[in-house]
Amino acid sequence: MIFLDPFFLCIVSILALAILGLPIGLSMIAGSILYLFMSGLDMGIAAEQFLNRMYSNYIILAVPLFILAAEFMNTGSLSDRLLAWCNAVVGRFRGGLAQVNVLQSMVFAGMSGSAIADAAGTGKMIYSLMTRDGKYPASFAAALTASSAVIGPIIPPSIPMVLYALVSDASIGYLFLGGIVPGAIMGVSLAIIVYFKARTNDFPVEDPVPLRELPRITWTSLPALMMPVVLLFCIYSGITTPTEAAAVAAAYALIISIVLYRSISLKSFYRSLVTSSKTTVSIGMLIAGALVLNYVVTVENIPATLSVILTEWNLDPVAFLIFVNVVLLLLGCMLEGTAIILIIVPVLVPSAAALGIDLVHFGVVVVINVMIGLITPPYGMLLFVMQSISRAKLRHIVGDTLPFLGALLVALMLFTFVPDTVLWLPRMFGYQG
Amino acid sequence: MSGLLRIGRWLAARAENILALMLGAMFALFILQIVFRYGLRMQSGWAYELSAVLWVWIVLFGTTFVLRSRDDVRLDIIYSAVSSRTRRIMTVITAVALVALFGLALPAIIDYVLFMKVEKTAYLKFRYDYVYSIFIVFTVVTMARYIWRAGVAVWGKQADDEIEGPAK
Amino acid sequence: QDAPTLRFSAVFSDQDIRAGMMGQFADAVRDIATIEPYYGGTLFRQGTELVALQRGNLEMGNIAPQDISNQIPEWSLLTSAYLFRDAEHLRAFFESEVGEEFKQMAEDQLGIHILGPTYFGARQVGLRIDKEIQTPADMEGVRLRMPGGDAWQFLGSAIGANPTPMDYAEVYTGLQTGAIDGQDNPLPNVQNMKFYEVMDQIVLTSHLIGYDLLVISSDAWNAMSAEDQEAFQAAASEAINWSQAEHIAMEEQLIGEFEAAGLKIYEPDQDAFRAYAQEQYLNSDISASWPEGALEAINAL
Ligand code: NA
Ligand code: NA
Repeated sequence: MIFLDPFFLCIVSILALAILGLPIGLSMIAGSILYLFMSGLDMGIAAEQFLNRMYSNYIILAVPLFILAAEFMNTGSLSDRLLAWCNAVVGRFRGGLAQVNVLQSMVFAGMSGSAIADAAGTGKMIYSLMTRDGKYPASFAAALTASSAVIGPIIPPSIPMVLYALVSDASIGYLFLGGIVPGAIMGVSLAIIVYFKARTNDFPVEDPVPLRELPRITWTSLPALMMPVVLLFCIYSGITTPTEAAAVAAAYALIISIVLYRSISLKSFYRSLVTSSKTTVSIGMLIAGALVLNYVVTVENIPATLSVILTEWNLDPVAFLIFVNVVLLLLGCMLEGTAIILIIVPVLVPSAAALGIDLVHFGVVVVINVMIGLITPPYGMLLFVMQSISRAKLRHIVGDTLPFLGALLVALMLFTFVPDTVLWLPRMFGYQG
Repeated sequence: MSGLLRIGRWLAARAENILALMLGAMFALFILQIVFRYGLRMQSGWAYELSAVLWVWIVLFGTTFVLRSRDDVRLDIIYSAVSSRTRRIMTVITAVALVALFGLALPAIIDYVLFMKVEKTAYLKFRYDYVYSIFIVFTVVTMARYIWRAGVAVWGKQADDEIEGPAK
Repeated sequence: QDAPTLRFSAVFSDQDIRAGMMGQFADAVRDIATIEPYYGGTLFRQGTELVALQRGNLEMGNIAPQDISNQIPEWSLLTSAYLFRDAEHLRAFFESEVGEEFKQMAEDQLGIHILGPTYFGARQVGLRIDKEIQTPADMEGVRLRMPGGDAWQFLGSAIGANPTPMDYAEVYTGLQTGAIDGQDNPLPNVQNMKFYEVMDQIVLTSHLIGYDLLVISSDAWNAMSAEDQEAFQAAASEAINWSQAEHIAMEEQLIGEFEAAGLKIYEPDQDAFRAYAQEQYLNSDISASWPEGALEAINAL
């Protein structure tokens, strides 16, 4: 009787509790307790797995530190400087503000660890610039802001890549490097769509910032622009581990804000700590819930079983990657990104490794996949964020997102079939694989 | 009653102070660690160990005493779309399930945490039952909170987005 | 009565020689018990298996002696530098009278029954700098990565180095970029993690004979008939013999491979290292908990 099977009931209860509005982390813990109870196992395992796996994971500590870094960026006006710089560079073209939106995401991508932070932080600012005086339709501005925010976690730093490293043991450093070229390609592909949209819809041009102003604006925003370089330098010169580099990023943003921009007070510093600690707590619970559930998945031998099934299907690596892409995009319509990386991906990693797929390549493809899932209806976290900011109808936002979604999917295909697009840069830095 | 409410607010504000302080301390410890290791060439395993303890405490303390309903990561597609009456029913169902399951596991959870007195952390020699004790607090207070939420959903008058536990 | 299922958890991967050992063992005891292996720390994280065994959430494990010494301070003797000379000496100890005493402590205090030590290679110092190392004095100022925790850090200073904790996964980049001058691991790990690509030399210090303990919970052990226990132990010893021989052969082969890859490999003054290390231990608090006469008994074996 499958209906009395503990694993089946565990999954059903998690889904039911989550849909009925219980926070996802708590749902996973509660469902796992149900499994332990029904299987006659020690229910103290729920505490054991939560505590030991949270306590002894070194790289997981990068998560709160990257959240803190992004918060300091916003509080300390580094984000404003970057926006001003983007406007000075591409504002002069037709659909200029829309291009600024894309460029801003690519640059800000280098700072923030998460897509949600990008959309809700600087994304919100540029969204209001775009829709002021009715320059752009609200749904288009919202769609573009959501789509460009997808790039955030592809270009380092990236919380999703930290989580992937956690479940796959791939090197964070090489994952970060592997995301740079794909992130740039994705930005360009969005810019191309904007270019054509701007011509057909006759989008406005911004008052051009005089070119002679450009060096000065670049100079004042240089410290902000240098942040990703500083971060990557710390990691690759061996000054710090990737986890410590997250702390350096936060310290860098803080110091620049205090010393150069004088834009952070003791009070706003404290507010940043409060805001980022809350974000840390909610993401932390999600991670912990997934780690507890992972025990259940291991006891049930799910990864091995799936690996056997996939072997029987006799998939070659390319077919396997297509299969993974389709599955993750479908899941992305229904699930939240962090949960996918922490629960579904560990099940796929052994199969990928067995097929000889490079785990850095696999990781970058998976993270891009999951991030695109944030803008695929019906469940797209970025779509919801932009809906709550814009108050436009969700179906209008979805409609305007489709061309961008298409462009990102084409890019995803490229990275899937041409591993060199991902692996070229890591190999330049000595990656053997 | 208003006196009780004031004490509650005061406690909530202090809990927020503590949470922010813990994150600040964790950040400072990391910076210290980098300075120690690469600047002074001294070992600082204890700093790393303390930040790992803080990380566990930030998540459990924060979720128990600081996070409000709206800060949580949830699938609110249905939850936010249904009528207030339906939402109250959903709240009661999830609260009953959560309290029942946590209550079922509570003895085993306490047993595990107390058992960990046999081990100590590698550098600072903290007893693990102390380090992990926050999990018992989390389990008990979360149960209390959800009992409260269910009560408010059944008998309460306030808008359901604001249904929150007493410690908030 | 059906054969019981024994859950086994270990940190090593399913590609490891020791996974082969477990496969062989599981086959041999098929009629007595069903072994259910979980590799790569997927069921219980490294260092948490012992508590899982004690709490009945696991029946078998591959436990580090360092984890046992966390709960039984006397056991810290068995984790000290230059205690065992080689795998043979290690095996002889666990079959000796003094070895029985240590096993009995684990049985009485932790409720685990030790089937035998699983050798995985002697720890050797690998350096990215080309300084010649003959005595502990030559190790002065060398930033040697050691596993985290006081006990491991002490081991590093007991061979004269300046120990630095670093996550195992970070060691490759640490060596590449010079954040550390070296690491100490058995040669099979050096190959697994490709450390040799970013090292200049290997100093064959053999400062610690690397081993874990194949254990079964006393509850599961005592549930077996005396006859089954005997067969179980015999199968374990045989599998351990095989794994040990494989590791020793591999170490010899790897020395050749690393030399061919251009690494300088040589043996330092082992006696100088041994004398220095044992003195460090005896002068520290750690040795206060060592059972009277045990060190001498082991040296005499
Ligand atoms: Na954007
Ligand atoms: Na990023």
